Amino acid sequence: MNYPVWELTTFGGGFIIALVAIVHVLVSHFAVGGGLYLIMLEKKAYKDEDAGLLDYVKKHSKFFLLVSMVFGGLTGVGIWWTIALLNPAATSSLIHTFVFGWAAEWVFFVGEIVALFIYFYTFGKMDRKNHITVGWIYFICAWMSLFLINGIIGYMLTPGAWIENHNFWSGFFNPTFWPSLIFRTGISLTLCGVFGFITAAFLKDETLRQKIMRTCAAWVGIPFILMISGGWWYFKAIPEPAISIILEKSPAMADYLLLLAWVMPILFIASMIMAIRLPQGFQKVFSFVIVAIALVYFGAFEFVREGGRHPFVIYDHMYANQVYVKDVPEIQKAGFLPAAKWSKHNQVTDANLLETGRDLFKFQCSACHSVDGYLNDIKPLVAKYNNVFGMDSKLNGLGKLNQYMPHFMGTREERWALATYIVSDLNQINDLNMGNPVVETKDLPVTIPPFDKEKDEYVLLAWNNLGMHCISDSDPFWILLPPANDIYAQLVKRGDSPEIITEGVEISYQVQEGFEYPEKQVRFWEFADKLLGADLAPGVGVGGLKVSGVMKLEEDHRAFTAPFVPVVPYPADGSYNPYPIFTITAKEKDTGKVLMTTKTVAPTSTEMGCKNCHGGEWRVAGVAGFSDKTSLDVLEAHDKNSGTNLVERAKNGEPMLCQSCHADPVLGTKGDPELLNFPAAIHGWHANFLTDREGMQACVACHPSRPDGPTQCFRSHHSEFMDCTNCHGTMEDHSLTLLKKEHEAGKKGAARLMENLQPRAVETVAEINPRTPWINEPDCLTCHEEFGMGMTTDAFNTWTEGAKDLYRNRHDQMEAMMCEACHGSTHAVYPATLNKLGTNRDSIQPLQYQGNDRPIGNDCTVCHTVQPEFEAHHPNSLRL
Amino acid sequence: MDPAALIPAPDAISVPWGWFYVLLMLTFLLHILVMNAMLGGGIIALISAFRGGEQNTLLGKEFGYKWPYTIAFAVNMGVAPLLFVQVLYGQFIYSSSILMAVWWFSIFGLLILAYYGAYIYDFKFEALGNPRIFMLQFSVFILLFVGFLFSNNMTLMLQPEKWQAYFNNGGGTLLNLSDPSLYPRYLHFVVGSVAVAGLFLALVGHFRFTKSTVNREFLIDQGMTYFTYATAAQIIIGIWFLIALPKNVMMVFMGGSSYGTILLLLGIILGFAALYIGYKKRVVMASAITLVTLVAMVFMRDLVRIAYLEPYFQLSDLVVEPQYSPLIFFLVIFAIGLALIGYMLKLAFGCRKEVTK
Repeated sequence: MNYPVWELTTFGGGFIIALVAIVHVLVSHFAVGGGLYLIMLEKKAYKDEDAGLLDYVKKHSKFFLLVSMVFGGLTGVGIWWTIALLNPAATSSLIHTFVFGWAAEWVFFVGEIVALFIYFYTFGKMDRKNHITVGWIYFICAWMSLFLINGIIGYMLTPGAWIENHNFWSGFFNPTFWPSLIFRTGISLTLCGVFGFITAAFLKDETLRQKIMRTCAAWVGIPFILMISGGWWYFKAIPEPAISIILEKSPAMADYLLLLAWVMPILFIASMIMAIRLPQGFQKVFSFVIVAIALVYFGAFEFVREGGRHPFVIYDHMYANQVYVKDVPEIQKAGFLPAAKWSKHNQVTDANLLETGRDLFKFQCSACHSVDGYLNDIKPLVAKYNNVFGMDSKLNGLGKLNQYMPHFMGTREERWALATYIVSDLNQINDLNMGNPVVETKDLPVTIPPFDKEKDEYVLLAWNNLGMHCISDSDPFWILLPPANDIYAQLVKRGDSPEIITEGVEISYQVQEGFEYPEKQVRFWEFADKLLGADLAPGVGVGGLKVSGVMKLEEDHRAFTAPFVPVVPYPADGSYNPYPIFTITAKEKDTGKVLMTTKTVAPTSTEMGCKNCHGGEWRVAGVAGFSDKTSLDVLEAHDKNSGTNLVERAKNGEPMLCQSCHADPVLGTKGDPELLNFPAAIHGWHANFLTDREGMQACVACHPSRPDGPTQCFRSHHSEFMDCTNCHGTMEDHSLTLLKKEHEAGKKGAARLMENLQPRAVETVAEINPRTPWINEPDCLTCHEEFGMGMTTDAFNTWTEGAKDLYRNRHDQMEAMMCEACHGSTHAVYPATLNKLGTNRDSIQPLQYQGNDRPIGNDCTVCHTVQPEFEAHHPNSLRL
Repeated sequence: MDPAALIPAPDAISVPWGWFYVLLMLTFLLHILVMNAMLGGGIIALISAFRGGEQNTLLGKEFGYKWPYTIAFAVNMGVAPLLFVQVLYGQFIYSSSILMAVWWFSIFGLLILAYYGAYIYDFKFEALGNPRIFMLQFSVFILLFVGFLFSNNMTLMLQPEKWQAYFNNGGGTLLNLSDPSLYPRYLHFVVGSVAVAGLFLALVGHFRFTKSTVNREFLIDQGMTYFTYATAAQIIIGIWFLIALPKNVMMVFMGGSSYGTILLLLGIILGFAALYIGYKKRVVMASAITLVTLVAMVFMRDLVRIAYLEPYFQLSDLVVEPQYSPLIFFLVIFAIGLALIGYMLKLAFGCRKEVTK
């Protein structure tokens, strides 16, 4: 940000430096070891008085001069040239920190050149001993230049104590200095053999050629031991977290490590083959093949070494995008653009959004990412982001959970500008609604069942216990929730003292027309055995029930239930309807006489916004459902981040239930005890991408609660003055409550997810009250003290003590009526007039029994034929 | 936009700037000497090839022997001043280099080609026959072009007010062609290189460092002739260069600074002296005068830089975070290096005598 950035696009992303560096390091290491090779062979030639060998040494020295001094020397300058153009800040830092190291290296370069010229031009003319001495001076100078550059390169990966004391020597003799020196010395000597094959292969004298071939093979083979042991020590000396990035975290590293693992033995074996007596034609060609193998080998090593530095260029000191680590806090506060001297604008406005986004890409991303290029092309990496929100969220989470990339550096506005540039310019998508159309409220007809207050003897109350049941219809890939809606009913016999009827009656449920065949709408039943380990007949839910049937008595609740009814929000006409209506009928068991009939919605939604970030489109009616693309990307992300093989499993027809590994109280799965429970994992992970969002912006990204969406699950009168966060907390707070509990339970994964989350409702994580999901939930009585009018709207951080205290499980103080029987489902407590499909849809029973949309009992005479005088259900029930 | 706002913040230095300044001046002088021999020698060889004749051809061959050395050392001696200039003026030179990144990046590739060209010219001189002139042209034109790119960067780095061109062209293809001082500056270097290279060839002749059968007298005569003509041209180009400089920079040498004015006067006097001595073909004396002139020129060049950057930056602005032990380490290595080189040269010359005997 201090310097201008060379706009390279295609050749960006480190392509140029990789090209120059790999070629240079190969030749420059050869330049070091090659000196020793010349001396040793020259000495042998003198000792054996072998004129042929001596002649070979002279010829090889010419080849050596032309390759190492011309090509090696100039590509060395070339690297310096290149890094100064591509990363001037780091170059400047290295130059200023190690100026006298570089200067000393230069002295050795001069020595090398003088020695090599003299060695070559006085070959055969100088006294033998002196000539060998000059050779030794060359080798020592060359090795010293390696010694010096090795300190500086090692410093970039492992600056060690330098970070604290800024002492030249601490940086120079850094933790990987010695192992790296041994490794590189080993490579240098190995490469003499590798390059020696080339000059040897062109020798005409058959005996001499074969002899030198064997010599070269030995020069590859013996230093190989030094190289491998140095390399092993080197790997061992790389501290955390760099070594984890190399071995586990960086997606590209695995390929390079694999390449390294393959090419190293290939190089060895290929060189050993050269020791065999072979035809000259083959030797000529194969000698170049071996050099090519060595080039690939060195290339892979360099990629791994540089990869280990991620996300830094100088570890813990400067990020790859030239930002000093120490400058980041100020940038996060005041913004990147004001600090970027070479950006055109110093703040984001509506008018310059794309231009500033482009600049931010240039200054923060282009150091490592090309555009349409050969290395780290940004386009495939961001291709799935078809909306700015998703891209912005990805940037939001950058560098937090996977540390091979830096955090986004800058303000929210700057991040949005960058995301806008990527989506609009790189992905060529300009959809302000991010594929989420505004859905207008409809008024679908609902016939309210009859109730005659004078004649009818029974009141039948029915509800769905969650207020919204979500389904992930990503069945061929994974699911987190199967179709499973819980319907409850309580039958009350009216009277002076009304009575709950649990015996002698049969209560049945019947889905509305069009929803009878969920098996035709989703592929759940094809994969149910793999997903749940239960072989379910098509249309039969997890609890053995279909979308129509008879409810069972649940004595504890004095209620009838139909658990896990497999209703889906897709009527047969191909549309999306998250509020199918069930007709509930109570009959006398013996006579079959209908005692009462009512209706209730079974809210059920597939409007889960995974696609907002994971790519793909809605599957059904343009508003809901999982496309294959979205589902697959979720697995790809999981595999990449957690080392699983879920994609492979899915492709083999073995999709998984998320909760089979991640325990979940609501499904009753035990999961892997080492892993975070499901709500903690999914919220904790994604919270890192969704920080500092206003209101319920983060919630609606995934849950079907978008106010202008097709479901809008929060539909009670509460939604007129509250949003999700009043009870559940912001994304960060919500996640921290779950993660903290897991952390306290000793789950390893929690700390990593918590590290970058700052609590918002309270000052510190210590003030967050940990909770078990689905058990410790917001409590209505936090606001509605003593069942009175709510005097606050802040219910976060006070949780129900146990499952029995949950609104959905709770009864009045007589342990008779369940709360939901009279007040309606969670998220849709009466009055719940804000249903997207019509104002009456969630208020059928209040309208049926008392002619208004208030809670049941608003008129006591619904059940009580005589007006009661005591508040038997709960305080304030009579509003006395 | 205020051009000063574009100038990157410099990094701290480890010893007071004077150390780097001395090292920069010293190593730049070494670089310019060898670079001149390399470039000017190539130009003289090319002119000689056009002129034809046996001795001219032998002169070309003689230079061919020396050419790879001069390239190797010109590059090598260039490393040190580029290092020290990055220490003192990194924020300027990194920025201007990026503005002309494509050109700047091409330099080391071009140099590899020129270098191999020079080696082919040297090793295959006889085998190539007359077409060797193409090889010579190839490398000389590359070197001339590289020099032009250097002149561009060295002037662009001094003018942050021109850097805003980056906002219309960030692809690294900018040059500083609109600068009126660019052309005389470049010519000053090119023609100067011919003068120094002439002297270099004369010295080769004078000290019997010839390897070919070229006539020594011819070599000295030709060398001194090139030296004299080029020096005469230098005086005119130098004046052009001076008046092409922005007024505030020019005035440094015209009374604005007594140090600058004295340096210029010294340069002019030495230039005329060199002209006279060159005309008299006194090789060693001319070399001594030229060396002193070059020292004066190197300091003048630096005064130009300081004057250009005066509105933005002074060397004394650099923050020093002192650490002397690396400097001592370098000085020790430097001394060892000099001793080793001296020792090796002694061995080399010793064996040359043996062979001559």
